[in-house]
This record gives sequence, C-alpha cells and structure tokens, in this order.
Amino acid sequence: MPATFDEQRRSRVRIVDILLAILVTVGILAYILDVLALRWGLSTAYIGRSYPNYLKAAWISLYVTTIAYFIGMGIGFVLGWARSVRTLPLARVMAARRREAVAAADGGSPGAGLFLGTLLVYGIKYYVRRTADAYVAIIRGTPLFVQIVFVWSAVLVFYPRLDPLVQGLLAGVIALTANTGGYQSEIFRAGIQTVHSGQVEAGRAIGLSRWGAMRYIVLPQAVRLVIPPLTNEYIGLLKASSLLAVVGSVPELTTFGRSEAFQTFHIFEAFALVVGIYLLITVPVSKVVEWIERRYRIPGLGIQAPRTARV
Amino acid sequence: MATTVAVPTRSSALRVRVSKTAIRGAEMAVGTILVILILQTVLRFNLLDEDLWKLYLPSFLDGIVLSLRYLGIILPLSVVIGFTIGWARISRFRTLSWPLSVFVDFFRGVPPIIVVIFAAVLGPSLLPARFQSQDIGIIIAALTLAMHSGAYQSEIFRAGFMSVPRGQLEAAQSLGMTNGAAMRFVVLPQALRLSIPPLANEFAVVIKDTSLLAIVGGFELFGSSFIFEQQILFSPGNQLSWIFVVWTAVALVYFVMTFAVTELLNAIDRRYHVKGLEAVTV
Amino acid sequence: MIRVEELEKHFGALHVLKGVSLEVQKGEVLVIIGPSGSGKSTLLRCINLLIEPDSGRVFLDGTQVNRRDIRPEWVRQQVGMVFQSFNLFAHLTALQNVTLGPIRVLGTDPTTAGAQGRKLLARVGLADKADAYPAQLSGGQQQRVAIARALAMNPKAMLFDEPTSALDPEYIREVLDAMAALARDGMTMIVVTHEMGFASEVAKRILFMDAGRIIEEGSPEEIFHSPKQERTRMFVGKILR
Repeated sequence: MPATFDEQRRSRVRIVDILLAILVTVGILAYILDVLALRWGLSTAYIGRSYPNYLKAAWISLYVTTIAYFIGMGIGFVLGWARSVRTLPLARVMAARRREAVAAADGGSPGAGLFLGTLLVYGIKYYVRRTADAYVAIIRGTPLFVQIVFVWSAVLVFYPRLDPLVQGLLAGVIALTANTGGYQSEIFRAGIQTVHSGQVEAGRAIGLSRWGAMRYIVLPQAVRLVIPPLTNEYIGLLKASSLLAVVGSVPELTTFGRSEAFQTFHIFEAFALVVGIYLLITVPVSKVVEWIERRYRIPGLGIQAPRTARV
Repeated sequence: MATTVAVPTRSSALRVRVSKTAIRGAEMAVGTILVILILQTVLRFNLLDEDLWKLYLPSFLDGIVLSLRYLGIILPLSVVIGFTIGWARISRFRTLSWPLSVFVDFFRGVPPIIVVIFAAVLGPSLLPARFQSQDIGIIIAALTLAMHSGAYQSEIFRAGFMSVPRGQLEAAQSLGMTNGAAMRFVVLPQALRLSIPPLANEFAVVIKDTSLLAIVGGFELFGSSFIFEQQILFSPGNQLSWIFVVWTAVALVYFVMTFAVTELLNAIDRRYHVKGLEAVTV
Repeated sequence: MIRVEELEKHFGALHVLKGVSLEVQKGEVLVIIGPSGSGKSTLLRCINLLIEPDSGRVFLDGTQVNRRDIRPEWVRQQVGMVFQSFNLFAHLTALQNVTLGPIRVLGTDPTTAGAQGRKLLARVGLADKADAYPAQLSGGQQQRVAIARALAMNPKAMLFDEPTSALDPEYIREVLDAMAALARDGMTMIVVTHEMGFASEVAKRILFMDAGRIIEEGSPEEIFHSPKQERTRMFVGKILR
C-alpha cells in the first residue's frame, strides 16, 4: 500500500526529527536524574560498595520467582486444559449416546446404566471445569497482596514456631505459585483453544487417537503460541515477587532496597539500583519476546492475529 | 451437521443479554458463597463472627471508602494518561514517540510497588516547602500508580489505533476529510471500541493495585485491614482464626469491585458492539 | 475535465511513475489496464492527491490543483474514489457510511443527508440494506455502498481502483452494472480494471500501463484485438485467455 500524502511530507523532516527525538529523550532523562541527584546526592562510593548485596537480593527474587513459576506451570497447564474443554449441551450428548447405543443394540432398547454413566462423566467434566474457572476468577479478582497475606497468616497460625525467613519464603512461594498458576492457565487455555477444532477433526480423520491428536497436532501449534506470553508471565511474576515486601522477612530485591534506603539514607542510590536491576532483566527480555513474535510468527497462526496494513 | 441460526430481533436480543448478565451474576454469587463455605470449614473460622466485626467494622468501612477515593483519582487520570500517550505514540514524529516509549518501558519494566515506595519519599522533596504535608507523599504515590496504569493503557489504546485498517483512513480522506476529521469520525470510534475489552482487564488491575498504597501509609482497605491484623495477632485473648475472617472479607470486597467493573465495561462493549468490528483473533 | 502532465513519483528507491500524462473529457470513461506494480493505483491516488506526486501537474477543470495554496481535502471532495478493498467504515451502517461525508465535510444537515443517502442507496439497488453494517453485507453489496458513499459528495469525477478484484465471481456483475449505469448518466470516470467486457462496453479509450509508463492508448477494439506494442500484446493475451 502506497504511503499517504501526509507521510511523505513527514519523511522530509525525518533527520531533524530523529536528532530532536534523541535530544529530547536524553534531555528529559538527564534533567530528572539531575534534579533527583542534586536533591538527594549521588554517592558513587555507596553504589560501588553495595551493588553486590543488591545482586544477591535480586538472586533471591529470581530464585523465588523461578520455583513458583515452574510449579505454577504444572498447575496452569492442567487447569488450562480442563478449562479449554468445550461442553456440548447435555441433551445433544445424550442424543448422540442414544443413537450409538441403539445402533449397537441393533434395534433393542439401550440400558439405563449407559445413560447414568454418560450423565456422571458429563457432570464430573462440567464441575471440574467450573471449579477451575472459579479458581482463576478468585486469583484474578483479588490483589496478590491479599493472597500473600492470606497464605502468610495461615502459615503463622499453623506453623508459628518456624523461622520467620522460612515462614516468609513458604508463604511467598505458595502464594506466587497459586497466583501464576491461575494466570498461566489463561495462557494455556487460549493456546489450546486457538488451535482450531477442525485441526483435531482432521487429525482424528487420519486415524489419530484423542491423545495422539493432542500430542502431534494441538500441542506443537499451541506451544508455539504460548511461549511468548509465558515468557512475559515470567517477567510479570518477577515483578510480582516484589510484593513479598509486605511480609518483610524475605530479603528479596524490593525489601532489601527499601530497608537499605531507610537505614543508610542513600535513598536515591537504592532506588536507582533496584530500578536498574529490574529494568536490566525485564526490558531486554520483553523486547526479545516482541522481536521473536514478529520474526517467527507462522503466517495465520497467532493468539494475536498478524497485522496487515494498519493506520 | 446442520445448524440453525436464529436471528434475534432488537428487543429479544436485549432481553437475552439482560438475562445473561443476571445469570452470570447469580452464578457468581452462588459460587462465591460455596467457596467461602469451603474455606470456613477447612480453616475453621466463621465469616460472620460478631465479636470480630464489632472491632473490625469501622476500619473495614473506612478502608473501603478510602479505596474508592483513591480509585476516583487514579482511574480517570490513568485513562487520560494512557489515551494521550497511546495516541501520541502512533505519531510518526519520533520527537514525540521516543521519549514516551521510554516512559512506557520504564513503568512497564519496574514493579509498581517500587515506584510507589520511592515516589512517596523522593516525590515530596521536589515540591516547594509550602506543599509539604503528611499526605503529599501518598498522593504522589497515587499519581505514579496512575502513570503506571497509564503506561499499560497506552499500549492498549495504541493497539486499538493500529488495528484500524489503513484503508479506513484513506477512504475518509478520499471523501475530502481533513486528517483531524478522519481521526475523529472514522479511526477513533473504531479504535475505542476495540480497546474496551482489554481496558476491562486493566481496570481490574488498577483496583487491585490501589492496595499497594498501603505500603506507604495510605490506609485503604488492604492497609487498614493489615494494621487491624497486626493488632489481633499481638493482643492476647483474641482468636487467631480471626485473621482469616479479615482476609476473606477483604478479598471478597476486591473481588466484587473487580467483577462489577469488568461486567460494567463488558456491558458497554456489548451495547456498542458492531458486528464485524472485532480485534481480529485467529 | 481531468488532465495530468508528466507525473513523477518515487517511493524510496522505487520509481513508480515515470512521466505519465493523460486527459479525460467530461462524461468520458477511461479504462486503465496493466500488470500489478505498473503504477495504476499510484496514478489514481495522485489524481485525488491521496499521494502527493514528486513532480508534474494535475489539472481539474483547467485549474492546477497540486499547488500549495489548494487544500488536498478540497480536491478529494471533487473527485470520488472507490477502493479495491471497499474500505467501508466498519463501525457505521450502510446509510451512515453514505451520509458521513455530506454531514461532516459539506455540513449538510442530517435529515437532508439521510434522504439523499437513501436515494443513492436505492440507485445502487440497496434501499433495503440502509441499516446493515458492512460485515452483514456481501462483497458486492459493500462495493455498491462504497460507490454510493463516493457519489454522496456529488463529485465531478470518479476514480475506481480495481473495484471488482476482491469480489467473488458471482458479485462482480452487480458492481459492474452499477458502474455502467453511472457511466450512462454521464459521470466522468477513470477505472482501473481487468474486466474486458466492461471495458469494451463502457469505455471509449483504454490505456495500457507498464513499469510506470503509458505504453499504449487506443479504443477497446485496438487494444484488445490489434495492439501495436509487444508488451501490450503479451499482457492482453494473458488476461484474455
């Protein structure tokens, strides 16, 4: 699609534009840093001295995040699969069963046991799905703060004698696991549902079993779809792990930075170090994910559709 | 298999929608009660414990009111910020879009709690002395929460703008519309409609994020309950299981708030839904 | 009516139009054919200034219009355009699509515009579809709404950019019929199309473009049956087969 009238007018000022953009961006950043540093002082000595401690704290953040993330992935996959099951109206399932049964009994009347069995399986499927839905709704509908404190309270009540650090870690990992499990199930559900049901049909048509169709047709497509959002979820969880600050006994990056700031009064340095470390992890990873999404998208396959010509 | 598609008339469609929302609401209520009953049995507490509520009710209600007040500041402001930045970032002028993309990357890359903690401390120092007061730190923290959500919303609005096909703009121009008019009458209405469903999610996040203000002394629902919990934990003679009551109640309020906001936006989405105008998903 | 002199257009390194000149009389229908990438679409967009040509002149009724002191919006009001991919406004009904221009650009009051819009929809045979959204219309119906939308601005001339290329075969006829009716009513039209039947029936002249130049010009008879240039012969041979 050719460029519009206005784009070309714009292209003439491109070079001025780029230079000005760099100037403005750097200028604003420098100004903000300068104002903060002027007000609060910037002790490079402090930064040089204590950045290893910050890295250690960041390591704890990553540690907690990683454990929760992978346990949560198991939960998320199971929940996601359970929630991706489409339920047909009961009447239709029963009617299909009846047809099969009639065909099998060769004209005779089918037994009631068969229908009860169908009803049971249908009911269990339905309630498993609804329970999973409820779990995700609760996780998504309440603040992670409340979830952490809830679990923490439970740990305090049931295991009052444990070391505070262990209590905090236990509560933190459980809460983060439960939380990311809910969010990851959304990703897996979308991934599995996005693979068109016609694909399963086609797989079954060439003689694959239900699991075979899942294994060879749905999963290979779904995995490709879920990797970028799953990576983003890891980043999100890392940021969420900062909420463990409310527990106070787990020295992860935010907790550590906060206590350093108020004990040493190197407030601006602490802020800069904490923010710097988070940004160093999150921004490159999400940029790489964005790039991969653009670069390796299979045409016509994506949770977000490929964009053609856009405004 | 043959499927029949009933084409609903305007009024019957409306009735179906209303009853759908009602059913969803009822379902949610039943589900919530079930979950609470199960929690009560497993953790052995009673949500309607009178002795507790006599002590807790004032801070509970104050907390809710304060939460709503913070929301009243943060939510509108974040939409304004998000929309403005989202719009500015589709501009081809890098002078406009580059600094803003740094802003967005910053707020998307840093956990909001850190921005809140440090904004409450660093922020007031940048203001003249006569503005200094106890609460100014919390207000600045609330403003940074609005910026944080604004950064996320800007991505939503930007995606909305970008998913309006370029042909729409061209067609509007071919009718003799100026860029401004084409934007206002053709691109904007479509972009906004496409932005509503993801906005519903983001609003729920904003509601939950107000709880972060507790950490700098903004005692909204979460904060006031946290203080109350500390009192229970450390005063003798009180039942420890009360803290479960407190957190279940708090979770319930947040759940209802997020549910209400998402349902409201979904209702708006359905009201203004146009067939064939969807964010394209495969 | 429309005259174009020595149009040049580059997109970056790509030289899309290499000195194109043409003239269309009032009430005349001109058909442009040519392989994809030959610059036909760009030429049309240069005429209503959706694209600003690098050099060359565009005249409308004897006035040069690609000048600083003439707003491109004004030019586009005078020249209607119909796109290959319809580009109906997805959030508006058929009638709203047709009336948006008159109401927002010309300042017509909504009642009058509505009445005119219904008349125009009736003219393209879609009186009963006024309240349908684009997604509820077939491709052919959408394109006819797009024609009505362009007509609503009361243009002096109309540009058609491959109006039937994106259509399923069964819908092509209805769109061509609407265009032929328009031509009979004396509308000045420039049509990029590969519909040879339509071209022979409606057009007096056909231009063949390739690689940014006009290669040959002639009556439908000449172009289709006895082209002078080798490239024209090859192209016509391909599309007639």
